[in-house]
Amino acid sequence: MKDRLATAVKQSRADYTEIRVERTWSSAVAFRGWRLETATVSEDQGGFVRVLNRGCGWGIASFTSLDELPAMVSRANELSRAVRMEEPIRLADTTPVVADAKLDLDGDVRGIRLGDKKQLLEAYNGAMLAVSKSIVDTQASYRDEVSEVWYANSEGAALYQLRPEVVVSGTAIGRRNGTIEKGLESIGLRKGWRSVRGFEERFRVVAQRAVDLLDAPRVRGGAYPVILDNELAGVFIHEAFGHLSEADFVYENPQAREMMTLGRRFGKRVLNAGDNGAAAGLRGTLPFDDEGTPTQDTPLIREGILVGRLHSRETAAKLGERPTGNARAISFRHPPIVRMTNTYIAPGKAGVGFNDLIRDIKLGVYACGAFGGQTMLENFSFTAGWGYMIRDGQVAELVKDVVLAGNLFQTLDRIDHIAGDFTWNQMGGGCGKGGQFPLPVTEGAPHVRIEEALIGGDV
Amino acid sequence: MIDRLLETARRKLDGADALWRRAEQTAVAFESGRLKAAGISEEAGLNLRVLSQGRMGVAGTTAAKPDPEALLERARASAELGEVVDLAFPKAAGSELPPIPTYFDRTANASLDDLIALGRMLVERLARPDCQINVSVEREVDATAVGNTAGARGEYRGTGIAVTADVTRIAGDDVLMVYDQYVGADMPSDADLEALIRSIETRLSAALTIVTPPDGSLPVVFTPAGLAAVVLPLEQALSGKTVLQGSSPLAGKVGAVMFDERLSIIDDPLTPGRPASRPVDDECVPSRATGLVERGAVGRFVYDLETAARAKTQSTGNGRRGIFGKPHIGYTNVLFRIGDGMGGRHGVPRPTPDLGGGLIADLDDGLIVDDLIGVGQGNVISGAFSHPVGLAYRVQRGEVTGRVKDAAVAGNAYDLLKRIGGVGTDGRWLGSRWSPSLLLEGVSVARR
Repeated sequence: MKDRLATAVKQSRADYTEIRVERTWSSAVAFRGWRLETATVSEDQGGFVRVLNRGCGWGIASFTSLDELPAMVSRANELSRAVRMEEPIRLADTTPVVADAKLDLDGDVRGIRLGDKKQLLEAYNGAMLAVSKSIVDTQASYRDEVSEVWYANSEGAALYQLRPEVVVSGTAIGRRNGTIEKGLESIGLRKGWRSVRGFEERFRVVAQRAVDLLDAPRVRGGAYPVILDNELAGVFIHEAFGHLSEADFVYENPQAREMMTLGRRFGKRVLNAGDNGAAAGLRGTLPFDDEGTPTQDTPLIREGILVGRLHSRETAAKLGERPTGNARAISFRHPPIVRMTNTYIAPGKAGVGFNDLIRDIKLGVYACGAFGGQTMLENFSFTAGWGYMIRDGQVAELVKDVVLAGNLFQTLDRIDHIAGDFTWNQMGGGCGKGGQFPLPVTEGAPHVRIEEALIGGDV
Repeated sequence: MIDRLLETARRKLDGADALWRRAEQTAVAFESGRLKAAGISEEAGLNLRVLSQGRMGVAGTTAAKPDPEALLERARASAELGEVVDLAFPKAAGSELPPIPTYFDRTANASLDDLIALGRMLVERLARPDCQINVSVEREVDATAVGNTAGARGEYRGTGIAVTADVTRIAGDDVLMVYDQYVGADMPSDADLEALIRSIETRLSAALTIVTPPDGSLPVVFTPAGLAAVVLPLEQALSGKTVLQGSSPLAGKVGAVMFDERLSIIDDPLTPGRPASRPVDDECVPSRATGLVERGAVGRFVYDLETAARAKTQSTGNGRRGIFGKPHIGYTNVLFRIGDGMGGRHGVPRPTPDLGGGLIADLDDGLIVDDLIGVGQGNVISGAFSHPVGLAYRVQRGEVTGRVKDAAVAGNAYDLLKRIGGVGTDGRWLGSRWSPSLLLEGVSVARR
C-alpha cells in the first residue's frame, strides 16, 4: 500500500499532493431494552486526495474505490486548477516524517468472537435494567475498531498508523407516569478487549440516577455560583473555549483575530488550559495528525492569559505561527480541519479539594456529568447530567434539567477557584464540526468553581 | 449487483433484502468571500439483511467488487446472535411505484463552473463591510436499488443541491452569526435565491442593535428554524420504535387530542422537488403519506418493517438504511399543515420577508426565537427543553426592537403546542421540514 501511495504522489502533476488511505475493521453490538438490536462486523475502506497548485485553491477527492487512486489524483488536480485565487494558500513548513506508528492493540478485538462482545454488553445492559421497574428502556452499545491509515505527501512524508478503539455506552430511561428521565454512561478508550471489562457498577449507578431524578425537582432558573465536576468542567473547556482557540476561526477574519489576540487576559491567574494530542494512551491521542504533523502539548491559557491556539499547516502559515498537529479528519470521506485532541484545564494547587470550593457558597448549584454541549462562537450551552443544590456550604437536594448557558468571556473570567483533583474523562461519542462527527477527543479537568453562571429552567 | 446477491441468499437462507446505493457529490466552498476549495466524493456500498432460522442479521461493505458469498456469510454470522423477528418482506407491487420526480437534469448536469457562479453571486450580493461570508454549494447525484427475496424491486435516481450561506459579524466581543440554506432536488430558481438573500439580510439588519432581554413567562414566536426544539420531542415520540420501547409519552394516545385542533403534521415522501422524496423506501415498501398529527389528535406512528412486525402493524414506508448497520425508522419530508387557512401552503411562494411572519403586531412584550443553542441535548423525549438563545429578537409594542443575548428559553413542547397563539404567513422549507412560524404562549424566558 505504501508503494501505491508513493507512486500516485510521484505521478501527480500538482505542486503539492497528499493522499490518505484508510482501512477500518469494526464490530458493533447494540441492545435496546432486553432486545438485541444488532451484532455486526463491518469493513470500510477508502481514500482521500488533496492537492494544491500555485495561484489556485484546494482540489479534493474522496472515494471508496481504491482502484481509482491515480484517476482521483488527476481529478483533484483539475479541481484545484478550477479554483483561481489571488492570494495563494501557503502551508507552514514541517519536517516530513517517515514512520510506522503502531499503537498497542491491547487484546486485538479482531480475534474476539462476536458472541463474547454480545455477552459483555448484555451484562452491562442487564445491570441497568435490573435497577428498578421504573427503568422502562435502555440503549446499550459496544463498538470496537482497528484502523490502519496510510499517509503520504509530495514533500516526502510517509506514515503508517495502526490504532485500536473501543467504546461501550449505555442510556437508562426511567419513567413514572408522565415523567421521563435518563442516565448516561460512556467509556471510550484507545485500547482493546483487555480494557473494557468490569464496568457493571458504573452502568448500575447511572440507571439508579435516572430513577432518582424522577422524584427530583427541576432546578430553578437564574444566576448562581456553580461548581462543575471534573467531567462537566472538561466539556466546558472544550465547548466554551476550545472551539475559539481553533485557528481556522480567526485566520481569515481580522475582527476575530483581534478578539483572540495572544496576550489578552481571559481569566484569573488560577486558570491554565491547553490541548495535548501527545498525552499517553488517551482517546484523542495520535502520534501524527492527518497532515503528517507530529502532535504536541499546546498551552492555550497560562495564568489567565491567552498564549496559544490550535493549527493546521495552512492556518499556521497564515498567522506566522507553528503547526501544532491539530489538523484532523474523521475519515477518508473528509478533509483535515483544525480540531482539538485532549483538551484540559490544568489542576490547581495540590491539596485543594472540593470542600475548599463549596465552603463559602450560601446558595449555588453543583453541576455534574454531561449530556452534551454546543458552542455558537462566544455563546455556549451545556447540559449537565444531573445536579445538586448547594446550601450553606453543603451539597443539598438532587435537581434536574441543569443547563448552563453563557458567554465565554464573562464565564471564563468568573472561574475563581480550581481544585487539584484532575482527571481525564475517557468518554465515547466525540466532537462535531463542519459536518465531521464524531471525532474522538478527550477532556480533562479538576473541579472548577464559577462565581456566577446562568442556569436555564423555570423562572 | 443486488439481483445476484439475492438469488444466492434465496437458495441458502429463509429470506433477505438488500440496498445498493451510489452517490457522487461535487462541492465548492467560499471562505471569507473567496473561493477556496472544490471537491468531489464518490461512494458506493451494499447493505444486506438476512433471515436465518428466523433470526435477523446484517452486513455492509464499501468494497469496490464485493464478494457476495463473503457478505452473505458475515450477515449469517450476525443472524446467529440476532433476535427472532417475524419479518415479512413486501411482495412485488402489483402496479407501478408511485411516480415521483426525484431526478432533475438541471441539477445533475450543472457544471463545476455553474456551481462556482452560483456561490459567487451569493458572496457578492451578501457582501457587507465588517462581515465575513462563507458560502458552500453542494450537489449530489445518486442511484439507489432495493430488492428482496419475495420478488419486490425498486430503483430510482435522485439529485439534490444545498446552497448554504453564513454571515459572521464580530464587533468587539460580540459575535453575530446569521445562516440560511436552500435545499432542493432541483436547482434554486432566481426567486429561491432572492428569498435566501432577503432572509439573511432581514435577520442581520434587525440584529445590529442589542437590547436587554425580557424576563418571565412570555409569548414567543418560534420561526421555522427556531421551532426545532419544539418539533424534536414530537418526532421522537411519534416514532414506532419509542412507542414499542414504552418511552413515548404519546404511546396509547392514538386518536386522542393532545395538541391545538388546528395542528396537523404529515410525513410525505411524495412531495415533488424534495431530496428526501422517493418512490419506495429502503426496504421496498412503496411510498405514501402518513398523518402523524391530525387536527390536534395523534395520528399514526411511523414504522419500518421490523418495528411494524413487532407492533403487529404495517410499515409506513419509513425504513431507512445506510451501508452499515440495520434498517431503522427515518422521517422523509415532515410538513406542518395548519388548518385555519393561515400559514400559507407548501408550494405557494413567497413567504413574507418580515421577521416573525406577521405575528408580532399584537405583542406588547415578547421574543422571536430563530436559533437555540444545544437543541437535541438533554432529555428530549420528555418534551422539556431549556436552551440559551443563539439568535433571538425582542418584540416591544408590536415592533422588533433588536437582538437579545444572554437569555435562555424553557418550556415543554407538549404543553406549548396545546394552544397555538398564531400561525405565521412565512411557511417555508428548512432541510426536510416545512413549517410556518408559530406564536406560543407562556414560554419561560430567563436573563442574566
